[in-house]
Amino acid sequence: MRTILLGPQRFTIRATAALRSLETHGPVAVVNPGWEEREDATGELDAALDHRSVHLRLFHRFTDVLEKDSRFAAAGLRLRDRHDELTSLYRLRLEHTLDGVYAVHRRLPHHPARARHSQAARALRDCVDEIRGIDEWYLDRLRKLHGEFADESGMATSGVIGWHREELRAMLDSCAVLVLPGGNVGSLLRALRLFSVRIPDRMPVIAWSAGAMVLTDRIVLFHDFGPEGARESELLDRGLGRIPEIVAFPHARRRLRLDDRGRCSVLAMRFGDERCLLLDDGSWIEIGADGLLPPGARVLGTDGLVATVGSR
Amino acid sequence: MRQRLAINRLRAHTPLTHDLIEEFVRKYGSPVIEGERATFLFRGDADEVWVRHRVVGLPDPMPLKRLPHTDLWAATTDLPANSRVEYQVEIRRGDHYERFNDPLNPLVAHSPMGSSSVCAATGYEVPSWALPDPEARPGEIVEDGFASRALRRDQPFWIYLPARLSRVLRYPLLIVHDGGDYLQYAAMKTVLDNLIHRLDIPPLVAAFVPPRNRLVEYPNHAPHARFVARELVPYLTERLPVVEDASGRCLMGSSFGGVASVSTAVRYPGVFGSLLIQSASLVFTDIGQDHGGGPSFDPVVKFVNRYRSRPSRPVDRIFMSCGMYEPLITPNRSMVSVFREAGITVKYVEARDGHNWDDWRDRLHDGLTWIFPGPQKYVYE
Repeated sequence: MRTILLGPQRFTIRATAALRSLETHGPVAVVNPGWEEREDATGELDAALDHRSVHLRLFHRFTDVLEKDSRFAAAGLRLRDRHDELTSLYRLRLEHTLDGVYAVHRRLPHHPARARHSQAARALRDCVDEIRGIDEWYLDRLRKLHGEFADESGMATSGVIGWHREELRAMLDSCAVLVLPGGNVGSLLRALRLFSVRIPDRMPVIAWSAGAMVLTDRIVLFHDFGPEGARESELLDRGLGRIPEIVAFPHARRRLRLDDRGRCSVLAMRFGDERCLLLDDGSWIEIGADGLLPPGARVLGTDGLVATVGSR
Repeated sequence: MRQRLAINRLRAHTPLTHDLIEEFVRKYGSPVIEGERATFLFRGDADEVWVRHRVVGLPDPMPLKRLPHTDLWAATTDLPANSRVEYQVEIRRGDHYERFNDPLNPLVAHSPMGSSSVCAATGYEVPSWALPDPEARPGEIVEDGFASRALRRDQPFWIYLPARLSRVLRYPLLIVHDGGDYLQYAAMKTVLDNLIHRLDIPPLVAAFVPPRNRLVEYPNHAPHARFVARELVPYLTERLPVVEDASGRCLMGSSFGGVASVSTAVRYPGVFGSLLIQSASLVFTDIGQDHGGGPSFDPVVKFVNRYRSRPSRPVDRIFMSCGMYEPLITPNRSMVSVFREAGITVKYVEARDGHNWDDWRDRLHDGLTWIFPGPQKYVYE
């Protein structure tokens, strides 16, 4: 199983080299519903992929399902309302609890050795556990919502969804490589889930930005410089799990306050069971069957600093 | 060392010739902005000259002094960075008073009351998102209206539909008081197009509703509230793909439109999830009835006094903005804690500006992105 995660491709294009490095022949399946209504504007992407692209057009298929399957569309609106309500409660809990975490973090002694064994450090670990509990509560509630949605929408028996799934399966089978570009990670994940896109282990994958995020176990939304201020990082959903134990942070330099050590430290502690992988312009991370990050990968440590895998 | 002001350097010339003044005025225009000081100029024959403005804290009228043996008048005042002040020049010739925009200043702001000159301090810029962007896909403004039973008249309004509107999706709904003025004087269509294009807000549907008699309809007027909550919202929800839940609805307005927003929400709690109010005329008294706002403020004060004595929570969230230089700053600051104590989440923003449409336009980014955060957090290109 080969997976290549790249940095954002807008300014530093490495997708061409990554594709050629796989030494495969045959069509390349492109899954870009994250581009939404721009899904078909693939001229530059096709050129970067040596004009081997086969477009699965999942966004187009998604709107087709909404138009043709009224039961699914109605259930989709109900799911969105329930998800919005859940998300607003999740954010409320997160923001209030994280305020407490940051307040405790500020009480840590400056000296690392003293900090490690301090009362504040123990309190901080408890606080972070609380955040993890909220994350788990959200994912658990969301899983139940998806279950209800699957029942209400009749996805499993929908003729139009079944037709698309069949066609997609055949298209995927004929391809040698799968490419997952960036875009809206919510739209990308929703389309992958609706059409039950399963990526065979044997199929090499090249992914960047939102595409890299959906390959992980847990998808974390983050933007410290968004227009509404430094709102807290939050989980979107579970991902496809192809690259477990990694949380992907594309555009990390542009989107994370990497100079705020306390904030970064809390972020890394919160996802402490996984590696917080930073994917900036020019990144090329190849993950093999062992699932380990290769030397040179940049990760966020629980000390709030950026470290490079393999360096001392 | 701090450099002398340009006007003082000019004063030092002897003799102060017509040509020197001509060159000075051509070079600097008016007002002359130097650090955190502004010098207003006027040229011409007059017995007295003033700058007229409504900035709380500065003298109004602000007298200009004639430079001896010249026709140049000047006055210098403090002007903190990022300030923006609207003003006019007033002159007296004998018994005749005249008021007009500053002839030496090309910057002009418009409003339903006419136009004013603009003094923009160091650091102030019209936000880029308020200017037309050819990259932004334009939404559409559609004229609509219906016969309102509550108002007992036909009520027209304009609807903003975002580019690429899809009937299978659901959009947040924004209802705007003084709708025509927001479109004309606060460039709101341009702002919505740009903020949606930049992913700062999600695509949304907005209804821009003009009043007929705002001084009657906006300060806690039962028929107006009924029209908005019981007629307009159902009308729009039935015909357009908008979110059917209060959390996706926002009611907004400025000045008396802010009062209309709050009072409508109080009369119909749970219809709107949020309010966006700008320089809301939320005037109140702590004792007695002498509010100083004139008869049109009587129903406002009655409403706000009653709300302050029994605060309720008709919405989850309120975005409030107010200009630091307007008299309404004190009531607005006071209302923040009242709303918060009622359990409402409040974001409050102040600007070094006054009670005017450009100020309200400049705060739209803060307000709209807080009320309806865009999909930026979801987009990783």
